Amino acid sequence: MRQSASKPLVVLGLVIGCLAIWGCGEPRAPFAGNYRSETPFADKGHIELNLKENGEATWKLEKEMRELKFKWKVEGDHLFLYTREGAVMVATPTEGGKKLTVDMSGNWHPSCPVNQCLIFNKVSGGG
Amino acid sequence: MAGKDTPETGESGGLRLDHLGQEVTVPRGSRIVSQGETPEFFYVVQSGKVRVFRETQDGIRTELTELGSGSYFGEVALVTGQPRTASVEAVEESTLIKVSKEEFDRLLNQNPQLSRHIIQQLAAWLVAGDRRLETETVHQVKLRQISWFDYALIISLSIVFAVVFNIYNDNQIPLIQGWGVKSEVPQISLDQALDYYHQKSAVFVDARKNNFFEQRHIKEAISLPVVFFDLQYPMFQFMLTQMGASKEKPLIVYGGNSSRRFDVDLARLLMEKGHDKVLVLGGNYQGWERAYPVEEKKGKAPGTMPLGLAGLIEWLPVGIFLLLLIPPVRRSPYLSVACRLLLGVIFIEFALSKIMRPAVFALNVVDYNLTPAWGVNLWSLALPWAELLGGLFLVLGIRTRAAATIIGGMNIIFIIGLVNAIFLGLPINCGCVGEVGEPVNWWKVLKNTGMLFMAIQIFFYDRLFVLDRGGFIWRARSI
Repeated sequence: MRQSASKPLVVLGLVIGCLAIWGCGEPRAPFAGNYRSETPFADKGHIELNLKENGEATWKLEKEMRELKFKWKVEGDHLFLYTREGAVMVATPTEGGKKLTVDMSGNWHPSCPVNQCLIFNKVSGGG
Repeated sequence: MAGKDTPETGESGGLRLDHLGQEVTVPRGSRIVSQGETPEFFYVVQSGKVRVFRETQDGIRTELTELGSGSYFGEVALVTGQPRTASVEAVEESTLIKVSKEEFDRLLNQNPQLSRHIIQQLAAWLVAGDRRLETETVHQVKLRQISWFDYALIISLSIVFAVVFNIYNDNQIPLIQGWGVKSEVPQISLDQALDYYHQKSAVFVDARKNNFFEQRHIKEAISLPVVFFDLQYPMFQFMLTQMGASKEKPLIVYGGNSSRRFDVDLARLLMEKGHDKVLVLGGNYQGWERAYPVEEKKGKAPGTMPLGLAGLIEWLPVGIFLLLLIPPVRRSPYLSVACRLLLGVIFIEFALSKIMRPAVFALNVVDYNLTPAWGVNLWSLALPWAELLGGLFLVLGIRTRAAATIIGGMNIIFIIGLVNAIFLGLPINCGCVGEVGEPVNWWKVLKNTGMLFMAIQIFFYDRLFVLDRGGFIWRARSI
């Protein structure tokens, strides 16, 4: 009984390992780089967004010292930015990745809502 | 074909008939006798190969044996006078001697040796059949057995995997949100706060997510979703400055629910930022809706983001649901296999979309407002692992009845959550397979209902291709 129970568990372990590899996601390289918001934010200057290839990201206001950390991934035509608390921001690359439209509402909208929308221009890096 | 009517059994025990019956050639795949028909002939295989099988009304086919040269068939129905008990088809082109019932009866009367041979053969089959029946019964009983161990196995594995994975996960969340954090945030009653409101001597801050704020909020309140606090606090400061509100002006925070105290969390963060007077609106979570003037818009569901393959696969249970309406198909174990594979893949997909980022899923759970605050994170950690293990168990054929029960149970919970959200008009994301862009609607309910029926079908009829007690059981039977 013990032997027969261990075999399925080994199979299960192997399958979970394969799924973990499969679940690693799409390559981030084309979108990695430094971005800068088109407009100043909250009277604190422009936002500098840095998307690193390892899935980490930083968000910094020009007039503030503090740097906020995010995680990000690519899925389909969109980038998903995750806050520490679990909120999701959907960013849509346009103009071949030169611009990034970030929906700050925490939801997905086919067109970014005007009062919740931030547009970034790529400054350097990426493909 | 007239002549000698004396049969002989060959050296191999096969039967030879000389000058009796009629020689016929049957092409490959053709049906020679059919189960249930009135018997008219007895057959001896001269050359080629035939297959004997039984088929139930549900379409379950049991292959009994294959017969080659010298073998015979069709005698059981002729002896018993009952309809054919099995069907026979040609595996390859075969030549048979077809003996009529009258010839067969005459043959038995005149040849006690053949009669004895047939009786011995029938008796041997009977004994072998009994043994097989016993083996089959034991196996079926084992398959139908369902023990608490199976459930305990899946649930405990899910919890262990969830906790261990969470320890090593970069996106780790606490097992219980806010555990050990002392609430030092002062509260203010609805009536007292109403005075502040009328005198415009406090700023009301809504801590909920943006979609809830847009749907309904206290008139002139400012939105500062706690989940976007770090990002939106600069804008909040800017708005306070524009309003001419100093840091000393009381901030009255509201927007908690029974699954997460967004209001308390936000109040604490604001105090950390140096706001001197932060108060949480007390009383019932929804009390402000009746006590204060509100601004509201009709609840707007989130936009639908295409989910790709996952979205398409999700529709298949609706098709299976229609198949389940057809009684003979409903009981088919082959349908169980299809249901297992499909349901397994769907639940694995569900799980993979949540496992890596439990905080995102936890917020989706909070939106439904059905889970107590202490259980949200535990549920958000364990549920995706239960989905993954349940899905894998179904695909691999391990403890399928228990896996189907657990998955069916999850479907019931999902359906309750979805229906509740629809009736309350909650502007939330489903959180089923996509992190955003998956609105809650009746289609989701239908899909989950389809999956529930699939789980029930598996529970009652699954018995093929299972990796269960005693190893893998390939259930394409040969009796």
